[in-house]
Amino acid sequence: MAPLDTLLAGLAREHATGALRVGRAGTIFLSEGRVTYMECAQTPGVERLLAARGRLPEAALRRLQADGGCKRLLEEGPVTLGELQYCVLGAVLDAAFFLLPVGGTRPKFRPGEQHWLGGQWYFDVAGLMRECARRRAYLAQIWPSAQLDTAPVRPAPWLPGSRVTLDSVQWEVVTGAGAEATPLDLARRIGRSGYSVLLAVRRMAAAGLLAPPVEPTTTTRAPEESATKAGEHRAKTAGGGQGALPQRGRGAAAQRPPHDPRAPGLPLGPPVTADPTDLALLMRLKKALEELT
Amino acid sequence: MLGLDDCLTEVMAIPGALDAMLVDQTSGMAVAISGPPHGVDAESSAAALTETLRATMDGLARSCPGETVRIDDMLVTTDKGHHLLRFLETVFEGPLVIYLRLDLERSNLALARYRLLNISRQLLA
Repeated sequence: MAPLDTLLAGLAREHATGALRVGRAGTIFLSEGRVTYMECAQTPGVERLLAARGRLPEAALRRLQADGGCKRLLEEGPVTLGELQYCVLGAVLDAAFFLLPVGGTRPKFRPGEQHWLGGQWYFDVAGLMRECARRRAYLAQIWPSAQLDTAPVRPAPWLPGSRVTLDSVQWEVVTGAGAEATPLDLARRIGRSGYSVLLAVRRMAAAGLLAPPVEPTTTTRAPEESATKAGEHRAKTAGGGQGALPQRGRGAAAQRPPHDPRAPGLPLGPPVTADPTDLALLMRLKKALEELT
Repeated sequence: MLGLDDCLTEVMAIPGALDAMLVDQTSGMAVAISGPPHGVDAESSAAALTETLRATMDGLARSCPGETVRIDDMLVTTDKGHHLLRFLETVFEGPLVIYLRLDLERSNLALARYRLLNISRQLLA
């Protein structure tokens, strides 16, 4: 199974026009080998951004999509050409950041298909990959651990000092964060790009503004109660028993984790744990694969 | 209506313009580039400019407490020329920044600032 970037590079070489559907994760639209639009299920698209930021309700956008398309949106909608281009640019790069590391699903290419908001900006495939890599490196430079990217955002209940400076996205993250919303949930809700929320969250972590992460066994929303109970039990025995494996204390989480430039991209789906339910799933998968051959 | 690419053409028509760039402040990405590259890597210079702007905003937030910092433009003059940066606030992302390098002798700063303001108004209503 070829990774997505190799496949995309191939389509670029062939000057392909059409839509590459990557399972349920997203779709990449190309025109003569250049990317015109990209959708990712995890990040807010142009429609969501315009609606969430109060520019145009999603229903109005759907009406425009059905009748008149992009041309009419610019003629009568409250969006200027510059704004639309900038919005598409941001949304596509954001989708690329989260979609391109996806592997495993069998992408399907449908020639000729186009997105109604495509054609606002053309992205060269190699440039897109380079920009994604640059963004990943920048993120790691601010705060090297990718653990925060998928965990619920929990601002610290009190400040480590007496005064802080927040930028606009960080402000929205603080006001929007409940105990459960992950950075990407927040991005969709407040109408900011997923990457900008990741940046804000990692900067806040570096400034010590986030509550220390909960141990993985308790953060995962286990489907069965017995699983969480088992996790708690394990944690208790490990902490209290003599001669048990040394466990990372809560204080250690506040320290900066070691830098890992080759850290893998964001995992799709729930975080992987040593949870018995995960093991059961793996066993089932293994059995199913064995039966296939 | 003005698109992002045409906007740079307009910016380069400002008297004394040497080169110009559109920078996305959030990600530090060069959105569009214009003018002779003369051995400058646009990607890293955009990223570096973004850090400069961040530092400026942090500094201003600290020097004027109790205020929400909103920068309209920024000017840095060196012995070789002027560097003019215009911030364009957008609702969804950004700000988008127009960076313009001006010739020290041939440029008129007041005119350049005025033209940049006009261009930014045309770009984002």
